[in-house]
Amino acid sequence: MHKMGWQDVIEGRPGDRVLLNGNEAIARGALEAGVRYASSYPGSPSSEIVQTLSKVPDSELYAEWSVNEIVSLEGATAASFAGLRAICVMKADGLNVALDFLTSMNLGGCKGGLVVTVADDPQGHSSVKEYDSRYLAKAAMVPVLEPSTVEEARAMAIAAFNFSEQIKGPVILRSVTRISHSRGLVELGKSVREDKTASLPAGDRFLTKTIFHMKARDRLIKAAGIFEDCGFNYSEGPDKADTAVFCSGTSLLYAREAIETLGLNDEIKLVKVGTTFPLPEKFILSHLRGLKNAIFAEEVRSFIEEGIVLLYARNNLGKICFYGKLSGDVAGVRGPACGEMNVDIMIKALAKVYGIHYEAPGYTPEKTAELSALVPPREYAMCPGCPHRASFWAVKTAIAVDGRNSIVAGDIGCYCLGAWDTGFNLFDTLHCMGAGPGIASGLSKLGRFGLKRPTVTIVGDSTFYHAVIPGLINGQYSGSDYLCVVLDNSVTAMTGHQPHPGSGISVYGRPVNAIKIEDIVRGLGIPCKIVDPYDNFLAAETICAMVREPGIKVLIFRRECALVAARKQRRKRRVYVDQSLCRGDACGCGRFCVSVWGCPGNIWDHKTGKANIDEAVCAGCGVCASLCPAGAIVVEEVE
Amino acid sequence: MNNSEQGYGARLKEEVIDPGFCSVCGACVGFCPYIKTFGERVGVIHDCKVCEGVCYRVCPRSPTQYHVLRQEVFGASEHDPVFGAYKAICFARAGSEHLRSRGQYGGVVTALVTFALKQGIIDGALMTGGNFTKAIPTLVSSVSDALQCAGSKYTSSPTLGLFQEAVKEGYQKIGVVGRPCQITACRKIQKASEISGGKISLVIGLFCMGSLLPEFYSFLKENHLDRYERMDIPKDILFQGAGGDVMIPFEDVRRFIRLSCLSCYDPLSELADVSVGSTEHDPGWNTLIVRTAKGMDMVEKARFTGDIETKAYPPDLLNVLREAVFNRKKRVLECPESMYLDVPPREKDYFLTAGGDA
Amino acid sequence: MKDPLNLAITGVGGQGNILVSEILAKAASAVGLKVTVGESYGMSQRGGSVSSHIRISRKSLYGPIIPKGCADIIVAFEPVEAARAALELGSPRVKIIVNPRPVYPVDVQMGKYNYPEIGALLKIFKEISAQALIIESTDLALQAGDPVVQNIVMVGALAGSGYLPIANEIFKKVITEVVPQKALRMNLNAYEMGFAKTNGLVNEAKSGVCPITVP
Repeated sequence: MHKMGWQDVIEGRPGDRVLLNGNEAIARGALEAGVRYASSYPGSPSSEIVQTLSKVPDSELYAEWSVNEIVSLEGATAASFAGLRAICVMKADGLNVALDFLTSMNLGGCKGGLVVTVADDPQGHSSVKEYDSRYLAKAAMVPVLEPSTVEEARAMAIAAFNFSEQIKGPVILRSVTRISHSRGLVELGKSVREDKTASLPAGDRFLTKTIFHMKARDRLIKAAGIFEDCGFNYSEGPDKADTAVFCSGTSLLYAREAIETLGLNDEIKLVKVGTTFPLPEKFILSHLRGLKNAIFAEEVRSFIEEGIVLLYARNNLGKICFYGKLSGDVAGVRGPACGEMNVDIMIKALAKVYGIHYEAPGYTPEKTAELSALVPPREYAMCPGCPHRASFWAVKTAIAVDGRNSIVAGDIGCYCLGAWDTGFNLFDTLHCMGAGPGIASGLSKLGRFGLKRPTVTIVGDSTFYHAVIPGLINGQYSGSDYLCVVLDNSVTAMTGHQPHPGSGISVYGRPVNAIKIEDIVRGLGIPCKIVDPYDNFLAAETICAMVREPGIKVLIFRRECALVAARKQRRKRRVYVDQSLCRGDACGCGRFCVSVWGCPGNIWDHKTGKANIDEAVCAGCGVCASLCPAGAIVVEEVE
Repeated sequence: MNNSEQGYGARLKEEVIDPGFCSVCGACVGFCPYIKTFGERVGVIHDCKVCEGVCYRVCPRSPTQYHVLRQEVFGASEHDPVFGAYKAICFARAGSEHLRSRGQYGGVVTALVTFALKQGIIDGALMTGGNFTKAIPTLVSSVSDALQCAGSKYTSSPTLGLFQEAVKEGYQKIGVVGRPCQITACRKIQKASEISGGKISLVIGLFCMGSLLPEFYSFLKENHLDRYERMDIPKDILFQGAGGDVMIPFEDVRRFIRLSCLSCYDPLSELADVSVGSTEHDPGWNTLIVRTAKGMDMVEKARFTGDIETKAYPPDLLNVLREAVFNRKKRVLECPESMYLDVPPREKDYFLTAGGDA
Repeated sequence: MKDPLNLAITGVGGQGNILVSEILAKAASAVGLKVTVGESYGMSQRGGSVSSHIRISRKSLYGPIIPKGCADIIVAFEPVEAARAALELGSPRVKIIVNPRPVYPVDVQMGKYNYPEIGALLKIFKEISAQALIIESTDLALQAGDPVVQNIVMVGALAGSGYLPIANEIFKKVITEVVPQKALRMNLNAYEMGFAKTNGLVNEAKSGVCPITVP
C-alpha cells in the first residue's frame, strides 16, 4: 500500500518507530504538543514542516503559506495571544524579515506556546548565504533550542511549546539543513487532539513599550533556569577528563564519531548543549571546572564558544586552553566559521590538541590527482524547458540590442541562477528578496550624477508578493525609472512548488481567487505587459520597447514552471534535430544550442558532428527551435 | 577554442555598434543566433568567437576598400569620382499613373522591382514597407507586395536582416532595394558563399543623405506629427495630410541623423546596379543612374515595355547635383569618423585639394 | 556487517536520489538497523551534483555526513558523479555500482571542460575499488518502461549484489510502500532487472571471476 511521507507524521500511533526527516519530526512534535496554528513562507530547508502540517484537517489545525515571514509570524503570534499553540516556520534568511515584529512582540510577550522554527543552511546548500541565526535570536532576546538529531527535533519541538508558555514569550527552535533534510528513526508520542478554544478576553492586551525590555530580560533569566534541568544538555564519556568538546546541533554526532575514530573515548568528555541561548551556565561551569582543554563544535559561527569563553572570564577556573573558531583550530576547507561542520574537521581539531597523526582512508596523491583531472565541475543548471532560461535570453538579447549596457539587478529564487553561467551571467547585483527593485530604483536616480546605464530588475512571482510591492510603490512615488521583469511561473518553485497568492490554490490545495500581479501593478498606476517568454522574439522585442519608456514599467513573463507542467501534461511535444538541416561546426552559430543556450536537453552528437536532443531529458518547450539559425530543430505535437 | 581571444562579434560591437557607426542595414542579422535587431537597433548578444566572422565581413562599416569593391562590380569601367561608375544619368518615372501616385516621386523604384519580378530577373525582393512613422523590412514576391513598399522612409530599416529568411524560403534570385550602406553590404554579402550571398542578383540603390535614429519616432509622436499621411524633405520637413500641411525646420531633426550617416561617403549608392533618387526639381520624376550592364539591360527593357519612362537630365541641374555630392564627399573625407573608409589617395586628393575647383 | 556501513548515493539533481535513499533507509530500519540519512536538496532539481549519505549501524546513531574516505558502497547514477564521490569518500575498499550513462554538466556543454572518456573512467573505477559493477540502468529502465526508473534499477542492483544484509523481499515490500500504485509494476520490474544483473555478477565474484564489465 503506497504511503505518502506525511502520513507517518499525521497518522502514526504512539510507540511507532518511523523514519522521518527532521522537518517531519518537528511537525510531529508540534502535533504532539497540540499546535493549532502553523504558518510559514516557504524556504529551504524548512519547507516540509508546514507542507506536512497542511495535511491535517483545517478544523484541527490552521495552516498557511504566508506571503512573507513577518506577516507569517504576526499571524502565528495572534493565535498565541488567543491562548493557542502556534508554530511559525522560516529559513534563516526569513528570520531577519520577521525580526522587526519579533523584537517588538518579544517585549510584551505572548500567551499560548509560540515556537519560531528557523532552519539555517550552513554551507548554503540551497541558499545564497549561510548566516548563523542564533545571533539574531540573541539580539531579539529570544531563547534558542538546537536539536542534535532528528529524534531530538521532535522532542525539542514539544518542549519548546512548554518553555514558551512557562516564560510567556516566543522560543526559537533552530534547525539546520543536516537536521531538516536528514532522516532518522523517530519514536512517536501521543498527539494532543483534545479541543482547545481560542479566547482573547477583554483586557488581555499585548503592547510594546521600552520598559518592557526588562520583561524580556527577565524572561531570559527564567529560561536559563529552566534550561539547567531540561534534559537537552548532557555529557557523555568520562566524568573526569582534561579535555571536553562543547557541542551543539549535529556537531554532537561529528564530535562523537571523531572521538571514536581516534580512540579517545576514555580521554574526552563530550558536553552537549541543546539550549544554546541563554546558556545553562551552572551546567557548563560544572563541566568547565578542572578542564585543561575546551574544544568547540558548532555551526556556523562561534556562538556557544563566545558564551562559554565569557563565562570562563567571569569565573575563577584556572588555565584552560580554548580551541574553536575563534582560535582558528576548528576549521574546514573554507577556514573557521564558514561552511558546515563534519567528522573530518573534528578529527583534525582533536588530532591537533592530542598531537596525533591521523591519515584518512583514501587514495595515493597520484591516484587522487589522476582522478581529479578527469572530473569536471557540475554547477547548477536551470531545468530542461525552464522558462527562466528563455526569459534570461530575452533580457540578454534586448539589452544587447538596446545598446545602452543596462544594469541588471537580480533577486532571490531559482532565477538567482541568472547570476551564473546557466543564466548567461546576466545579473550585476544579487542580494535578498526584494533587493532588485530597490537597487534599480536607487540606480535610476543617479543620472543626475552621470550614471547613464538604464536599469532592469528581475524578480520572481513569489518574491513579488513577498517583498517587491513596497519597492514598486517607493519607486513609483519617487519617480524611479526602471523596468521590472517578473518571472511568473505560477508557484514558489525553488522550495518545492508551494502555491502563492497568484496561484489560485490554497495551502490545502483548494481553489481560491488568484491575486493577479498585473492587477496590483496597474493599481499602482504602473504600466504592465504580459508576454510568454517561450515566444522569445516577442519577449525580447517587448523589453526593448519598454526600457525606452520613461518611469517604472513592469513586464510579466508568464509561463508555468517546466517541472509543474511536466507533471500535469499527458500530451507532450517532441523536439528533435533534423540533422540534414543542422550545419554542424560549419554553421556560424558555434554550437549555439549546446555551448550557449545550455539546456540539458540539447546535446552534441559527436558521431555526426551535429546537434541533437536528449529526448529522455527534453521538456518539449521548443524555444531552442525558435533560436536555431538553421531551423534544424523540429517541434512536433504528439499524443 | 581560445576564450581569451576577441571574436568578430565583439569587434563588430566595439568598432561599429558601440561608437554609433552602425547604420542598421541588417546585413549582420539573421544567419546566427547572436545578432538581433528590434526597433531599428542592432545588438551583438554574445561573442561567438567563430573565427570566420561573416557578420564583420559583410558590415558596410567594417574596414571597406571601396576601390576593390568597385573593381569587382564594374571591372575596369570608367569611374567618376563624384557620381561613381555609371552608364547613364537621366530623369525617369514609372510608366503607370497608378504607380506614380503611390511612389514618393516618380515611382521608379517600385516600377523597376515589379518589372524585375514580372520578367523573372528576380523571384523576390527585400524592400522596406510601412511609412514614415514605422519602417517595416519586407520580403516581397509579388507586384502587389511591392506596391505596399512604395514611398520614402527616413529612418533605418534593417531590411537586409531578411536575407537569410529569403534564402531559407527558397528564393534563388533576390533583389534588394536599399540605402547606400545596404548596397555596400550587398556587394560584400555576394562574396560570402557560406551564407548563400550569390543569391542576391539585383541591387537597386537609393540616394541617401542620412537616415534618422528611432528617437525620431518619439519626436513625431510627441509633436503629433505621426497623424499626417506623408512626409517629405524638400529642404525643410513637410508633413502632408487630409487636414492640411505643416512644415517644420530641418534643424529640429538634425540631432536625429545617425552618426554613421554623417560619415557616409556614398550618398548615391555607387555600387548598385541602378541608383534612384529625387530630382529636387520636379516631384513627378526621379533621378536614375544606371551603373552596371545588368542595370542597363533591365532599364532598356523596362523602357521598351513602357514600365518606365525616361528623359534627359538637364546639364545645368546635373552640375548642381555634382556640386552637392562633391561637397558632401569632401566633408566626409575631412571628418575623423570616416576611418573605416579606405579611399585611394588619388581620389582623396581630388576632393581635398585638386578637385576643389570642380 | 561492517559497522557503521556507509553508503553514498550520488547522481545529478532530478535523478531520483531522495527516493532511493528513502527506500534504502526504510529497508535497513525494517530489519532493525539504526539508520541516518543525510541529504542536501532544495536546489537539487537544478541539475547540480546530489549525494545522499546513508549510515547503517547495529549499535548507534551516526551523523548525516560520511567522513572522508569512509564510504563502503557508492551507488552512482552517473559516472562522473561516481568519480566525484570516490574522490571524497572512496578508498581501495569501496565498492562502486555505477550507471555509465553520462549526464553532461552545463560547463561541459558550454565547452569549458571536457567530459572524460567513459572507458577510461570505468577502468579507473576498477583500479580504485574493491569491486566495480557497471549497470546500464538507463537502458534497463527504458526496457521497464521509462528511463526515470533507472534509480530503481540501481536499487535492484544494490540488493542483488548482496552488499547489504537486507533480503530481496524487504526491498520489494518497501518499494511497494513508497511508489505510487499506478507506477508500481514498472518500478518492481525495474527493480527485478537490476537485481538479476548483479545477482549473477557477484556470485561470479565469489567464485573468483572478475566482476567488472567494461563495455
